[in-house]
Amino acid sequence: MKILTTPRNKNELNKLLTYSDAFLFGIEGFSVNFANNFKLEQIKEFNKIIKQNNKQIFISLNKNMHNNDIKKVKEILLSLNELNINGLFFYDVGIVNLKNKLNLNYDLVWAQEHLTTNYNTCNFWYQQKVKYAFISSEITKEEILKIKQNTKMKLIVTLFGYLPMFTSKRHLVDNYLQTFKLDKKGYYIHKENKIYPIIDNNEGTVVYSNYILNGLEEYLELKSNNIDYIFLNNFNIDEKTFLKVVSNYKKLNSKNLEKIKAELNQLITNTSKGFLYTETIYKVKKNEK
Amino acid sequence: MKNNVIKNNKMNILKKPELLAPAGDLERLKWAIRYGADAVYIGGSLYSLRANATNFTLEEIKQAVEYTHKHGKKIYVTVNIALHNIELDLIKDYLKQLDKLKVDAIIISDPAIIELTKDLSLEIHLSTQQSTLNYEAIQFWKNLGVSRIVLGREVTKDEIKEIKKHVDIELECFIHGSMCASYSGRCVLSNFLTTRDANRGGCSQICRWDFDLLDQDKKNIKGEKPFTFCTKDLSMLKYLTEMINLGITSFKIEGRMRSIYYIATVINVYRQAIDNYFNQKYEYNPEHEHILRNVANRDSIPQFFDGNYGASVQYYNGREEVSNQDFLGIVLNYENGIATIEQRNYFKKGDEVEIFGPNKPLQTIVLKEIYDEDNNPLEVVRHPKQIVKIPLEIKAYKGDIIQVKKSVDKNKKM
Repeated sequence: MKILTTPRNKNELNKLLTYSDAFLFGIEGFSVNFANNFKLEQIKEFNKIIKQNNKQIFISLNKNMHNNDIKKVKEILLSLNELNINGLFFYDVGIVNLKNKLNLNYDLVWAQEHLTTNYNTCNFWYQQKVKYAFISSEITKEEILKIKQNTKMKLIVTLFGYLPMFTSKRHLVDNYLQTFKLDKKGYYIHKENKIYPIIDNNEGTVVYSNYILNGLEEYLELKSNNIDYIFLNNFNIDEKTFLKVVSNYKKLNSKNLEKIKAELNQLITNTSKGFLYTETIYKVKKNEK
Repeated sequence: MKNNVIKNNKMNILKKPELLAPAGDLERLKWAIRYGADAVYIGGSLYSLRANATNFTLEEIKQAVEYTHKHGKKIYVTVNIALHNIELDLIKDYLKQLDKLKVDAIIISDPAIIELTKDLSLEIHLSTQQSTLNYEAIQFWKNLGVSRIVLGREVTKDEIKEIKKHVDIELECFIHGSMCASYSGRCVLSNFLTTRDANRGGCSQICRWDFDLLDQDKKNIKGEKPFTFCTKDLSMLKYLTEMINLGITSFKIEGRMRSIYYIATVINVYRQAIDNYFNQKYEYNPEHEHILRNVANRDSIPQFFDGNYGASVQYYNGREEVSNQDFLGIVLNYENGIATIEQRNYFKKGDEVEIFGPNKPLQTIVLKEIYDEDNNPLEVVRHPKQIVKIPLEIKAYKGDIIQVKKSVDKNKKM
């Protein structure tokens, strides 16, 4: 099982090379839910470093595309073809159509973040020559394992970090500040003693969970069930702490689990198991309405 | 005579768009058809994104199909949840049943469902859950066999034009109702804050909650009203003729959980507007915007279509909407100048009220006399579903609606 991370800069990439097997980058103007996005020139530089270290590189074009994005997306897709990347994360299926038309040499990663929830749809995308699925963070561990048992797709499972739970084209923070003429910048929203990070940038607004998912105890089980990648997300976590987290995940085995768990618990509070053991409610009973 | 096709000033042939209404249950479906919907969309008790609506059992879908087809209208069934493994066992059988019941189309968001319908004759529409906004994505879905795309709400007028140039496919656009604050399909606030699954029909509308906005040091940034994701509703009445000229196939009204009063009112306004346009007697009437806003108790504006999704579309009201008290009653019968009415909200003798019906404009009436079922005079009608008789000088029909008179200040900016 490989560890996938998303470095925020070249310096962090260099440090993570020791522990991370694969790296994911967003591209300026075309990616959402990343702490940093990059220009193609920077990606080329990162690619060189990553390849020299025999690691893997994935790129994410996961924003919702409009017509006027298509021309530039085509250019990016063709440029990536020359970099020999391992895979491209997509949300918008227009990317799949373009990949078929442009005859590109890299694999696609089905990354419709909250919709990647069952093995049948994984198998559909596999037939469409999409080899990887970035699995939803809102399903249980049992559901993840069942997907793996029933698909040939390579699965990428988020096991650490703040989880994106809302993506909008609207500039919701700016709209609020503008309406009430407030000369400040909003970073969090707060409700009932819970604080949620909120980001409003060129692509719109993203809101994250109030907690850090930490699936350290589930790591070994996912590994023994042949999950292909785990994704550790550094959003809103300082570089030093994150490096420690990744190194701990990397050296984890059944013998040192308790020791590493204790170490991480000291390093990071505010963790949760997310939905790994929590099923969401499908239908609300009438008397709950 | 009603025209279904006209030529515009560029001599392009324009087909009358389908007016597509929501129906949370059989009663709402009948009201939608009665008030002029060309088609309705419903959810089954499984696999539908509005689990809080009553929704339809297979037997009820059968009745709904029969009723709809008997009136020469179409019916689409939403099968647009994000499926989990546990739902896979029954889905194929469910699709077979829908095929057997001869629904006119299913609305899906999961492409794997298309594979499951290969041996069936179900027409496939793509749900707005996929937030489809560009012609490459539309071409992908068309190649898979999708016949109609419900476009993402973020699409603009110019983008629709561009899409039409690139792909020949039916397009469906929302014209009225609530807006998601996020891209559809990309919000799981409900999952995280209440464990109700937004993409499986359990959305608890966290976007309408109030929050505190905090700065980098987690200190409160306090405006006059609390922070919220909430946006105003969508109303495309102002751009209706432009939408018709774009060649959009279907105009969709949101709201499977809305009341019959809401459904009747909104459909009535758009039905008249579309028909008047095709009979070449349409004139935009801002008073209709007032009616539409009033029935929902919320402001409604065009939004993304004209490129506006800035601060003016946000809704900082600092309160939950209260239920609408304007709906006074339904006409059950009209005979010899007497309307029999079933009460919905309090009214009294002497009230000046309004009456409207399918494809019939609003008219003001004064309730000079009110009688109970035994012809005893009444001063007030206060009991829910109370049956009363009211002499009316104008002719009324079964299904007409009586509502509070809504005075309109015509000088007020809409």
